Amino acid sequence: MLDAPVDAEVKARREADLRRAWETPKGWRYWSAVNNTEVGVWYSLTAFFFMLCAGVLALLMRIQLAVPDNDFLSADRFNQFFTMHGSAMMFLFAVPMFEAVSILILPAFLGARDMPFPRLSAYGYWSFLIGGIFVLGSILFNVAPSSGWFMYPPLATEQEGIGPDIWLLGLSFIEVASIAAAVELIVGTIKCRPPGMRINLMPLYAWYVLVVGVMILFAFPPLIAGDFLFELQRSMDWPFFDPDRGGDPLLWQHLFWIFGHPEVYIVFLPSIAIAAMIVPTAAQRPMVGYSWIVLSAVGVGFLSFGLWVHHMFTTGLPSLSLGFFSAASEAVVIPTGVQIFAFVATLMVGRVTMSQPMLWIAGALAIFTAGGLTGVMVAIAPFDWQVHDTYFIVAHLHYTLFGGMVFPIIGGIYYFYPFITKKKMSDRLSRWAFWLTFSGFNICFLPMHLTGLQGMPRRVVTYPEAAGWDVLNMVSTLGSFIVAAGILVFAWDLLRPKGRQPLTERNPWNAGTLEWSHDVPEEAWGVRSVPYISSRYPLWEQPKFLERFDDGKFYIPDAPEGKRETIVTSAVDAVPQAVVQVTGPAWVTLWAAAFTGGAFILPVFKFYWLSAFSGVCAVACVIYWLWTSTAQVPKTPMRDAGLGLRLPVYVTGPKAPGWWAVFITMLGDATAFASLVFGVFFFWTARPDFPPEGAALPDMMWALLALLAFVVAWGATVAARELNRGGRQGVARWCIVGAVVATLAALGGMWLAIVLPGLQPETHAFPAVMYALTVWTSAHCVLAVVMLLYCLAGSVFGKLTQLYDADLRNTTLFWHFMCLSGVITTLLVGVAPRLM
Amino acid sequence: MTEETPFRHESIWHMVAAPTVWTLHFAIIYAITAVECSKIGTPEVARLSILVLTVVALALIGWIAWKAWVQWDYPDDQDYVHDKPTVEDRREFLGHAGFLLSIASAIGVIFVAMPALFIETCL
Repeated sequence: MLDAPVDAEVKARREADLRRAWETPKGWRYWSAVNNTEVGVWYSLTAFFFMLCAGVLALLMRIQLAVPDNDFLSADRFNQFFTMHGSAMMFLFAVPMFEAVSILILPAFLGARDMPFPRLSAYGYWSFLIGGIFVLGSILFNVAPSSGWFMYPPLATEQEGIGPDIWLLGLSFIEVASIAAAVELIVGTIKCRPPGMRINLMPLYAWYVLVVGVMILFAFPPLIAGDFLFELQRSMDWPFFDPDRGGDPLLWQHLFWIFGHPEVYIVFLPSIAIAAMIVPTAAQRPMVGYSWIVLSAVGVGFLSFGLWVHHMFTTGLPSLSLGFFSAASEAVVIPTGVQIFAFVATLMVGRVTMSQPMLWIAGALAIFTAGGLTGVMVAIAPFDWQVHDTYFIVAHLHYTLFGGMVFPIIGGIYYFYPFITKKKMSDRLSRWAFWLTFSGFNICFLPMHLTGLQGMPRRVVTYPEAAGWDVLNMVSTLGSFIVAAGILVFAWDLLRPKGRQPLTERNPWNAGTLEWSHDVPEEAWGVRSVPYISSRYPLWEQPKFLERFDDGKFYIPDAPEGKRETIVTSAVDAVPQAVVQVTGPAWVTLWAAAFTGGAFILPVFKFYWLSAFSGVCAVACVIYWLWTSTAQVPKTPMRDAGLGLRLPVYVTGPKAPGWWAVFITMLGDATAFASLVFGVFFFWTARPDFPPEGAALPDMMWALLALLAFVVAWGATVAARELNRGGRQGVARWCIVGAVVATLAALGGMWLAIVLPGLQPETHAFPAVMYALTVWTSAHCVLAVVMLLYCLAGSVFGKLTQLYDADLRNTTLFWHFMCLSGVITTLLVGVAPRLM
Repeated sequence: MTEETPFRHESIWHMVAAPTVWTLHFAIIYAITAVECSKIGTPEVARLSILVLTVVALALIGWIAWKAWVQWDYPDDQDYVHDKPTVEDRREFLGHAGFLLSIASAIGVIFVAMPALFIETCL
């Protein structure tokens, strides 16, 4: 069948259909595009711009530190600069850059037309843009946060002005966008692989994306929970971190670093994933030790969650506890080292060509290894006690992040540039950029090890001449400007007009992976036909691959109904399951992002009602978007997918990407909730007065009634799903109504349990945390009611039927989590305080 | 004669079972130590529990490793590349990766438990 010739006329017609379906909007409508190739480019350029801004802040700080007793910057401005430098590099560059690059190239690795939820990517991008400008822009008004990128209380909770609020709310907003992108990337990797691409054939990049996506789900929510508590303290004076009223500043440090340490690996793994794609191409042979790299990615993913306390070695925790984290920090070296050895082994057995990208990867490996070695040193608690908060740490972290992130990303941009723009970057400029950045980096940061060992603390605005740190600081400052020159050369090469330059050849590096089957000149359809994969390097190992691919001999080479579609396959063996429609250009995503931004940003200025209104508008936008474009009842239930395969166009339950998206989102949400629960137990162990003696305890009876109502609501939702599937829509609708009533009852019961006994959240951390749990679960109750009503409306208006019940299945899945968190909340509020 | 394929042959969950044991071991010993050090002040019970939990965790990981080794089935065809589009290669790959992860997890468990051997106080 694959060798049967395709009629030229049929081929031309199919291409025209596809081109029309995937056409990028023109003119000002261009900004309504949601295609991964557009959104990915905007996303990465925005992240790069934020990186340049944060880099400028670093240069200004280096000028200030070049000579002793300098007064180039005031102390307050210096504080704002180092806070924003760290925050922007982490939240506005490193993590978003991973998401941007993945959105841009992952579908191509997987031979998919697009990401599973293009509008979600667009929504994430616009949220990121709005949040990023808001956070970074604050520096221009001299109101930026200034307590360091980790915002330790009590300094940050007591700080005057709106700086900490900008940090908390602005970055929470961006974290939500990051989680949205993580959901997208995980579902993309699990459900949108091409037929035949079993899990043992998946490109290594996809493995890393999967691991990092899951890490984001477990790492970001604790910070969101921390931000939630922090902002409640800032705006409502609930004393979670105030030791005078039963709080504890260390809780913030725990929540921050449970996020913050995995974050380092969240930044590092995707960058090393790019190296894992470049190395086999440079060596012109398959990667040595595929299973070992998977071991390494997955192992690092797990172990990186056991390291957070190594940022807190000096906080006076029991030394036994410090020992666990020190040991885990040393253990993580094993999987990290394994992947580097696998790269080196691949290069050793291959025939290496030192191409532009490979030069950057080689630099990355050298610098990262140096950073890793100092990491092994600071993971030992007594050594850390000596160098904690000195420039030694600054040197260490920049070695790991430059080597582990900046160099591989730049290498990756050189590598993928022909894929993205169909043009090449300059060989000569690349070498200039590399050697300037590489030598400048070492001139800047190598001396800092010594500066630190000589005792210079981090985050000081200046130092006296007598300290003897002046020569080293001057060298570092010179080095920093050499780095800046290198980055500028790179930026010029990246952005310079290339109109007259010829188009690149199709596979300029002679790589073996799917993305190099791209079309030159560009086509917006992603892939001409979704291929059947039987090898890890199809372009090297599958005979006649490109010819068949271009002739549209594989799956869905057409768009008969003019819809944007992609193939959904099973999670492990990539057996085709459906051809699903993906969403096209829309303005509603932009509106949704703008209103979500309003909901997060307006509270900074105490406009609480406007913020609530903006939140309601955001929800309305999202409902409109879901109602009009997702889980539509199809006109024809099956579609001819090519190669003699007929597939359904609507799937529901665990086969559907939407079900996975809900499941994954809820895992993240459950992690945030677990962080709040951790908070309760943390207070219990850290404070002798939790709950304080003689304090009012929440009412047990109302809490238990609420618990019962949660279980009833859950049961009614499950019953509605089953009855609907059994064809009894009428009864199913009444079950949904019952579930709504029970949810509202649970909501009321929870509040009565804490309000009736007279708990005052401002007085002590105990009532405050009881209130916080109730607020959290109440917000979820509201969401649950909205989802149930959405299903009810769907059932009444024919969007949700016996066969096409994806919305109800997803709502039920949400309810499994909702019920669990409702039960835990009510037990923690109603029963646990009586046992503590 | 065809036999039903066991779920573990196509399960990523089985592949990550060993690091999950590491995670649980880590979380529990951290929690036990934190509670005992704050409520009692000396870690005797914690150290004893860590010993017991470590033995249990290592036994579990050993069992997981053995199942993964059988699934990898290395002595049979000495395949460690697994790059064919077949059910066999997918099964062997998941077994191989699961086996390697068991080794890394066992090292992790031993590492993390070691401080309890040497540190006798909460200070």
